[in-house]
Order: sequence, then structure tokens, then C-alpha cells
Amino acid sequence: MNRDELSAVGERRWVNAALGVLAWVTALVFFFPVLWMVLNSFKTEANANATPNLDIDLNLDRYREVTESAGGLLSFGEAFMNSVVVVLASTVIVLALAIPAAYALAVKPVVKWRDVLFFFISTKFLPVVASILPIWILARELDLLNTQAVLIVLYTAINLPLAVWMLRSFFAEIPRELIEAAEIDGARLRGQLTSVILPIAAPGIAATALLCVIFAWNEFFYAVQLNPVEGSTVPVWVTTNISTRGEFLAKLSAASVLACIPVVLAGWIAQKRMIRGLAMGAIK
Amino acid sequence: MSSTTQPRLGHTMPPRVARSSRVSESWRRRLPLLPALLFLVLLTQVPFVLSIYYSLTDWTVVPPGPREFVGLENYRDLFSDEFFGDAIVTSIQLTVFPVIAALVLGTAFALLLDRKFFGRGIVRTLLITPFLLVPVVIGLIWKNQMFSGLYGVVNWVIEKLGGTPVEFVSEHPTLSIIVTLVWQWTPFMMIIILAGLQSQPSDVVEAAKVDGAAPFAIFRQLTLGHLRPYMELGVLLGAIYLIQVYDQIAVMTGGGPGSTNVPYYVFQRSIGGGWQFGEASAYSIVVVLASIVIATFALRVLSRLLKGEAAA
Amino acid sequence: MAAVSYVEATRTYPGTDSPAVDTLSLDIADGELLVLVGPSGSGKSTALRMLAGLEPLDAGTVHIGDRDVTSVRPRDRDIAMVFQNYALYPQLSVAENMGFALKQHGVPKLERTARVRETARILDLEPFLDRKPKQLSGGQRQRVAMGRAIVRQPAVYLMDEPLSNLDAKLRVQTRTEVVELQARLGVTTVYVTHDQVEAMTMGHRVAVLKDGVLQQCDVPSTLYHQPINIFVAGFIGSPAMNLVGMREDGPPRIGEAELTLDAAAGGALANGGGPGTVGFRPEALLIGDGPLPARIRTVEDLGSEMFVHVAIEHGGADLPLIAKVKPPFEGSPGDRVGLQIEGTTHLFGADGERIASGPAALRSPGALSHS
Repeated sequence: MNRDELSAVGERRWVNAALGVLAWVTALVFFFPVLWMVLNSFKTEANANATPNLDIDLNLDRYREVTESAGGLLSFGEAFMNSVVVVLASTVIVLALAIPAAYALAVKPVVKWRDVLFFFISTKFLPVVASILPIWILARELDLLNTQAVLIVLYTAINLPLAVWMLRSFFAEIPRELIEAAEIDGARLRGQLTSVILPIAAPGIAATALLCVIFAWNEFFYAVQLNPVEGSTVPVWVTTNISTRGEFLAKLSAASVLACIPVVLAGWIAQKRMIRGLAMGAIK
Repeated sequence: MSSTTQPRLGHTMPPRVARSSRVSESWRRRLPLLPALLFLVLLTQVPFVLSIYYSLTDWTVVPPGPREFVGLENYRDLFSDEFFGDAIVTSIQLTVFPVIAALVLGTAFALLLDRKFFGRGIVRTLLITPFLLVPVVIGLIWKNQMFSGLYGVVNWVIEKLGGTPVEFVSEHPTLSIIVTLVWQWTPFMMIIILAGLQSQPSDVVEAAKVDGAAPFAIFRQLTLGHLRPYMELGVLLGAIYLIQVYDQIAVMTGGGPGSTNVPYYVFQRSIGGGWQFGEASAYSIVVVLASIVIATFALRVLSRLLKGEAAA
Repeated sequence: MAAVSYVEATRTYPGTDSPAVDTLSLDIADGELLVLVGPSGSGKSTALRMLAGLEPLDAGTVHIGDRDVTSVRPRDRDIAMVFQNYALYPQLSVAENMGFALKQHGVPKLERTARVRETARILDLEPFLDRKPKQLSGGQRQRVAMGRAIVRQPAVYLMDEPLSNLDAKLRVQTRTEVVELQARLGVTTVYVTHDQVEAMTMGHRVAVLKDGVLQQCDVPSTLYHQPINIFVAGFIGSPAMNLVGMREDGPPRIGEAELTLDAAAGGALANGGGPGTVGFRPEALLIGDGPLPARIRTVEDLGSEMFVHVAIEHGGADLPLIAKVKPPFEGSPGDRVGLQIEGTTHLFGADGERIASGPAALRSPGALSHS
């Protein structure tokens, strides 16, 4: 099925070309703020804080400034390390928990799987602020404030429902006969997972992992509330580049670019897989 | 060896299958689910129950004060708190408008992307990017470089078109935040709708073309129907995340009239400076109850989605 | 190798009223190829899956050898299954597909490779051992699916419509190969199909199911010549048996012609309560100048035989009948002809059960005096 061929016969070529141009224009306008942010990171503060212009200094001065060690405050290096550790760890844990759960909801379903699925999603209906108070108190009691551990645990909790939801739909797409054949052939849960489910659902698992990474890396609230001093992440670090004295836009732009690069690159690379994963089975 | 077996119509009592094996089978099915379930229950229900308890107390945390049990007093005060009412209105504005706008815009983008043209991959990459950015960064760049009264790009364009510059963030806080949310979430909707368009079976569309239907008619009658579950999923997920928006508010306006939604208000009353954990908890619980009501409504959408799958 | 038996096995899907399989009792001999056949919804696949352990039993038991396997898990039942859509593991090679089960059961690599190679030889799959399923044709994939079952040397083979996805010609070819293979290996095989031709040509015995209830289980010729009820009579045999409903009272008639039956049949009809049905196969219907007027609808010429579709007036409406004739046949659509019956005719009671069978003939109404 190649939908692109559908427009082939009979359709006026200028219509197609016009729509193509429209798409390009739309994309450029939509993307403009990002482009502008990158440009600003290559200007001096004076130029950045003036009426819009294109006077860029093609050097990495701003980048150097923001990444230099910030003394007692959070430095880029620290924040980056924390983010990487927290995001990777929480995503791995999410997958480790969600894959068996999705198996129990899709492949060999528990009788009440719909109710369970609703429960998982319902935990996201509760605003984060509803749980921050007890969590903050608990974290303080357990001496977990300002640690990576507390963020890993929380990010796992906020991404788990989405991961279970998505993985369940992907697993449900796997032909039942394949699972039955594996079962008759003697494979237990682990065998079925490794030989049948994971290879076939790999694009879906990748799409899920990507979404978890996006949400975990970009998370701000828990990070700034629970780890204001140490162990904080890149989004928090970005806000430390706002100054009440003097101009800061160029430096802020540089900091923003640095903060966004990892996830943007990951998203760019994986976008086709993500769309294909969603098309394959996120919804029936 | 030939045996003609008569069809059985009687109902003798045959031995039933051993009950114990059926019971252990259902527990074996539950086992893989338990780690995720227990983990989530622990991390969401425990705080929830604690919040209920706090909401029934009067508790100032800074400066540290005693935690007195006051029953439903916090809930009573809540009704006369006009700031809370404003927060609810703002919450609705910051959820409904962005969801709808992002869906419409996202669908339009998806339709543009659904055909072959030069550089389609690049266009898609550009359009996806806002969703990948750190929301705090989104708030900051819109506030400082786009909307700024002095050197914002938007005002520069307005001036070039002959208008007068507007201080967006201070004069139109709600609108400003809505713009950033739409910008952020349009790609999300776009991806979902794009997936929906790609999964549409082409033979139905081909039949319609042979039958003589115009493209717009095909879209309205066939494609839209096929996209419905995708749109519902987008609205559902989008609403879940948008209700809890915090980052943009924090960095663009820091609260204030017109841009304080309920989560931010709760934050302000508790660890954001108010330090009234008792009252703040009561607000949270009310939000939870409201969410459950909305959720039950959303559940009908959900189970239609899931039943559609079971029937398929 | 083992015998299989179902003892009053029943399965009702949750949320439905009637059982998908209703107190099925069936004994299958060791080494037998038994075919389960029936229309869709008859419960044949469900019965097979109950034997496989993929479907639980709500009542009754199922046995393999002398073991009650009702609550035993599929992997411990010593069975192998061939699925309709083959269910090949897409990312494994043909060799790995066939060796998968052996690997799961801990068979050492050396032995595994040897057995896989041996099975591949039997099935002419040796050149494909390193290919992935998507690189194979439908027929080749079907053989890999069979190979995967054979390599395991189980006690029972279960086959769920394994030939349905092949094109017609390949299906006929493969049918013979499957029968030969089963005879050679001598393993008990339970084979499900909806195609009665497949059933009749392959099975040692055939079990006909309808709505979850076993109608008749017997060797093909008995099913053909002595069907136990209308359903089996109409299901087995292609083209289907001609079935004509009788009036409530009076001598049995087809159209205006009277049907003369031998004494036993006639007596049975007289005693039966309610209108019965008369059935006769296409080869028993003669076209010529018999006493039953008919009109030719279409003539099908298959070369070695011909089928003529006619229509008669019976009970106030048009009733289609089929006659099998040996070429040459001269007749065209629209011609008026006369029909006669020569051969076995079956008599079915009002409840559908067969009452009697025997030779019969038609005669014009009131042609002879009765005695």
C-alpha cells in the first residue's frame, strides 16, 4: 500500500507543487523561533537585545560562557550528567516494568485488563501538584532530596502509564498464532518475549522509549522542587542563566540550544520509526 | 474400525475441570503485571492518601507549626476563595483552547505531509521540533525573543505591518501561554494524525475515486471517520498533559492573574511560598475529584476505543 | 504415538449462550488420521484447540495416550501444531524455525541440527534452510510449518486448515503429500478443514460437526452412503444431495409425481410424525422422459462428467435439482425434460434423522393401481 501513488494519475501537477511550496513555507514559519534561538546564541548580548538583526559572531563565546563552571551553583557539566543518568535509568526501569505488564494485558490477558489499563491511565489524571507535598515530605524524611534517585523513581512513575498503554497496543497487534506456536513449542514467558514479541514489536518499543526519554529529559517541576541544590537536571540549569542584572538573551539562547540538542537529535533520528510505530498499532 | 457416534443431546454430568488449575492459571497471568502495578500503586496512592489526611488539617510548614486536625474547614474556605475560582477558569482556558487548536493545526500539517513532495522528510523534521524542546526553553524563548515588547520578533513584524507593538506577556498572559502550548503540542497531534492517515486502507479511497468522489468529499466522509479514534487519542493524551501545565507559567509569568491555573495555584499556596500545606492539600483533593468526574467521561471515550479494538 | 480421546468435552465462550463444543466424545486410534469437518462456527477449530491446550475445557476431559491432559499446559502435552497461517517466526531462518521447539526443550545442538536436516530432506526444504520466511513462497512456507511439527516427533499432530491458504492446484498436490507423509510416519493426526472434499479424500475417518455437536463420525464411504441425518447428507458430497421436503399427508410426492418406496421405507414414513424429507444424489437423477416435468436451467460441462441444473415445481414454488450425467448430453437451458430417479433414495424424518434408505422410483400420479 503506497498512498503516495494515489495522487499520481490525473491530478494537476501545479496543485501538487503549490501544496509542496505551502508545506515548506509553513514549516519554515513554524520552525522560525527555533532558528532564531540558534542565531541569537551566536550574537553578542548587545546584538541579541536589539531590534531583530542578523549580526552574528560566528564563534562559541556564549557557549563557553554558559558552560564554564558556575562556582557553587549548578554547572552545565553536572546538570548534563544528572539528566543523562536520570533519563536513561528511568527509561530502562520503565521498559523493564512495562514490558511484562503489557504482556499480561495483551498477550495472555488478565480477565480485568480494561480496568487495569484505566487505572494506569488514571494515575496521570492526578496533577503532579497533588502528590508533590507528601512526596516532598517523604523525600525529606528519607533523606532523598537533592539526589538522582528520587528523580529516577518519580520519572519512572510518571512515564509508566504511557509506556504500558502504548506497549499493550503494540503487543496486541502481534498475531495470536505466533504466540500459540511458541507456546506449543515450549517457550515460557521469557522465551516468548525474546523470540517472538520483542523482535516483532521492536519499532513500537522504540517509539515508546523515545516518548519516555522526551518527557523525562524535559521534566522541570519535580527537578526544581526536589533538587534545588544538587542533583538537578538540565531544564533547571537553563533557568539559572536568566539574570536580573544585565542582558542575558544571547547566553540564554546558547544554554537553551545545549539543553535541547540531545532530545531534538534523538527525535529527528527516530521520527519515522515513531510514526510507523504509532501507525502500526497505537490505535486499532 | 468403524464407529458411528450418535450426536449427543442429553446432559449427563461430566467431570468438571479441576478448579485449582484454573485458579493458579489466573494468578500466573497476573504475575507479570504485578511489579508495574505495585510500583505505581505505591508511588501514586500513598501520596494520595496522605494528601487526604493533610487536607483535613491546618498545617503551616514555614515557619514550622503544629499540624492541627480541623476536619472539613479547608474545604469550606475553598468555596469562598475567588482566586481558586479564577484558577479553574484559567485551567479550562489553558486546556481546551490549546487542545483544539493543536488538533486542528496538527491535522492540517499532517494532511500537507501526507503527499509526496521534494524535501518532505526535512519539512517533517522541522515541524516536529517544537515538541522535542524543553518546555522551560519554550517559555523563555517566546517570552524573551518573540513576545518581548522591546526587541521581540512578533512586535517587529507588527510594526513593519503598521501596527503598534504589544506587551504580550504582561498584557495578554493567557493568550501568550496558549500560543506557546499550541506551538509545543501541534507536532504531537500531527504525529498521531499522520499515523492515522498512513494506516488508512488505500482500497477504500481508491473505490471512492473510481466512484467519482471529489477529494474534499473523500476527506470529509471517509478519512475523517477513520481518523476519529486517532483524534480522540490525541485529545485524551493532550488533555491529560495540558491540565498539568506548570513550566511555561513558571518562567513566563510566575503566576499572576490570567495565567495561574489550578496546579500553579496549589503550588503557590504550598511550597511556592504559601506554606499552607493543609489548605493546599484540600485544593489538590478537589482537583482530584474533578479529574475523576472528567475521567469517567473520558472513560466512555476510552472504552469505546478499547471496545472498537475488541470488536475488530 | 498415542491414541486420543475426547470424553464429553465442552467449551462455552464467556458471554455466549450455547457451547462452541457440546459434550464431544470421540475416540481416535493410534496412528489414525482423523478429520474434523464442518461449516464455520461448527466448533471444529475449538475442538482442536482444546486438544492443544489453547482453549480450556468447561466440562469433560481430553486424553492423549492414557494421560488425562485436560489441565496440562500445551508445552507438556507432547503435541505439535500446524497453523492455518503457518505462524512462522519471522526473524528466524527456516532451520531456526524448525529447531525452535527442540531448543526450548533442551535438545543439544548436534542432535537438533541433525533432526532439522533430516526433516528438511523429507520435505525438500534443504536449499532453503538459511532463508527467512518472507523470502519463501506460500507453498514453501507451508512445508516449513509442517516441518516444524514433524521434527518434534510428538505423540499427536494437530493441523488447523493447513492447506487453506494455498492456491487450488497446490492444495490438491499437497493433500496427497500430507496423506503419504502421515502414513509413513504413522503418527496420530487430528486434521481440521471446512472443505468436505479434503475431508473425504484424506481421513481414515471423518467427524462431521455442526453447531458444536458431533453429527457423525465414520469412514468416508459410510458418511456418503449412510448419512445419519439431513445435515450430513447435504454437507458431504459435491454437488450436494438433492433434498425435497414432503407434504404432511398422502403418498410421498415430488412435484406431481408419486414416489414409490419399498415396503420398509413406506412403513416408516407412515409411522413418522410430521413431514419428512427425501434425498437422492445427483447421480441418481435421470434426465429423459421420466414422469416428473422439469426445466433445464444450466448445463455444466467438466469434460469427464456433466452436471445439469434443473428446476421443478414442487409445493407451489420452483425447486432446483442437480443431475449428474455422462457426456454426451444434448440439452440446453430452457428445454423441458422429464426426470426419473434410479438409485438409492434416503428418507429423513421430521426431526432430520435418517429413517430408511433404499431404491425408489417416480411414477405419474394415479398411473398404477395401488396394492
